[in-house]
Amino acid sequence: MSRVKTAVLIVLGLIWLAPVYLLVVNASKSVDGYDAKTVWKPAGFSLFANFGDAWSKAALGDTLVATTMYSVIAPVLAVLIGSAAGYAIVVLRLKRGFLWFVFIFGGTIFPLQMILMPLFSGYANSGLYDTRTGMIIVYTAISVPFSAFVMRNFFTGIARSVFEAAVVDGGGLFRIFRSIYLPMAGSALAAIFILQATFVWNDLLLGLTLSQSDSVRPIMPALTGLQSTYGGASLPTVLAGGLLVSLPTVILFLAAQRFFSRGLALGQF
Amino acid sequence: MSNQALDRTGARKAPLFGLPAVAVVALLLYLPLVWTTYVSFTDYDGLASPMWSGLANYKAMFSDPDLIGALVNTLLWVVGMVTLPVALGLLIAVLTYGHKWGTWLRLPFLLPYAISGVAVGVIWGFVLQPDGALGQALGFFGLPGAHTGWLQAGPGNTLMMIVAVTWQAAGVNALLFVVGLQSIPAEPLEAARLDGAEGFSLFRHHLWPQLRPITTVVIGLSIVGSLKTFDVVWVMTQGGPGTSSETLALSMYKETFVLNDYGQGAAIALFLSLVTFAASILYLRYQLGDAREQG
Repeated sequence: MSRVKTAVLIVLGLIWLAPVYLLVVNASKSVDGYDAKTVWKPAGFSLFANFGDAWSKAALGDTLVATTMYSVIAPVLAVLIGSAAGYAIVVLRLKRGFLWFVFIFGGTIFPLQMILMPLFSGYANSGLYDTRTGMIIVYTAISVPFSAFVMRNFFTGIARSVFEAAVVDGGGLFRIFRSIYLPMAGSALAAIFILQATFVWNDLLLGLTLSQSDSVRPIMPALTGLQSTYGGASLPTVLAGGLLVSLPTVILFLAAQRFFSRGLALGQF
Repeated sequence: MSNQALDRTGARKAPLFGLPAVAVVALLLYLPLVWTTYVSFTDYDGLASPMWSGLANYKAMFSDPDLIGALVNTLLWVVGMVTLPVALGLLIAVLTYGHKWGTWLRLPFLLPYAISGVAVGVIWGFVLQPDGALGQALGFFGLPGAHTGWLQAGPGNTLMMIVAVTWQAAGVNALLFVVGLQSIPAEPLEAARLDGAEGFSLFRHHLWPQLRPITTVVIGLSIVGSLKTFDVVWVMTQGGPGTSSETLALSMYKETFVLNDYGQGAAIALFLSLVTFAASILYLRYQLGDAREQG
């Protein structure tokens, strides 16, 4: 029985790895050496030359800087704003705290489609359209509900006596938040950060709607641009681009698997 | 300081800490939500002011052949995503759970999850090219279909894209099911084994009933996810050829930003939201119930 299980898993696993194999092998072929009739056979190794091509053709350089900024700054802001909300609701016992919690958390249960058009109009009217600031603001807003959700749950698990002792010691409420509650929440903060950074990095829809120039546009819309100009960019170049933008999230995922599974259990993604 | 005094001090300053989150969410998520809802009942091109048109945009959704097509495709996505990746995820979870190398054998399925929808689209667009990787593999094994144009006609193109997303999503579902399996107490299971239950019968009578809560979550997430399907389709076919593989999420984008029919786009968005909301209740009740117990 156990052998049958293993055999089934290995066969299925190989099927699952086949597209990854095809991606790596064909992203590594030189543009001239690529032959559409023999995609399964490896031929040469020009991966880095193709990375370079993808980099210049899709203006990935600019976009990579911008996307990295978004994926770091927005989740950090969201983590801080979300923890402050969690602190207010759980520790400071905000009046009607549960209702406010539902209000904040409810912000993400509808699809992005519901907010795209007004965001576009609002951004166009306020000068935020196609600016890095605008992208950071929207990514932060999207990430706040999940962050507040996790932090509220986390703070619920901390004994009330911690707060009482801190107040008796004469700490202000802000200092108690900053130097007692935040440091205690290290692992939860990291989990939120990693999940939201991945979300921002992988976003297509918001980037597509709220930006257009090379220096603002995030990496996923940039990649679709490369893909749709099949004529201009050859297939190995497109595939190399696909591989390049996937590397950071794959590495992050492998390094932090347990955070992902925790996020899953919380219903994100 | 007494407990009550403590609570009073805290509660007085609490709004200060809660305000940023509430403000950001209200301004960037709820305000747009309200505007979209209003616009969905109007005729609006984004320039002139919106003109009240009642339910016209909603009627168009169920009479315009292109939008009906998108509705049918979205339904296909929902059905596809609650069956294929869920069944495969369950299979992978049951096979790897308790297996000596379980964690390692699960890895190939988890890898695609770390990849973005756009990258999945790029990879599978390549695999499904006419006479591309899949065609060549079929030809090699002497199987039929080697020269099929996988993405050239509906509903076949939608089905192949469902396969692509199954490739991405099965591993996540497997992970969720493993979490579910871990929460099943070991002793009754051991007793059933001693009574001679094994294989499929053990699964059916002893594991499956206990997996119900997690199955609800997985199916709820699958429905919600499939209703939003955009990235993969956008990259692989842009909804085409024609509108043959368009989903409602894609129609919303096209109606709004390509055809400048903001009202129609808003109606589609609201419709999607209502369905999503209904599906979310399935698993949100479970989640929020959980949160409430803790606090």
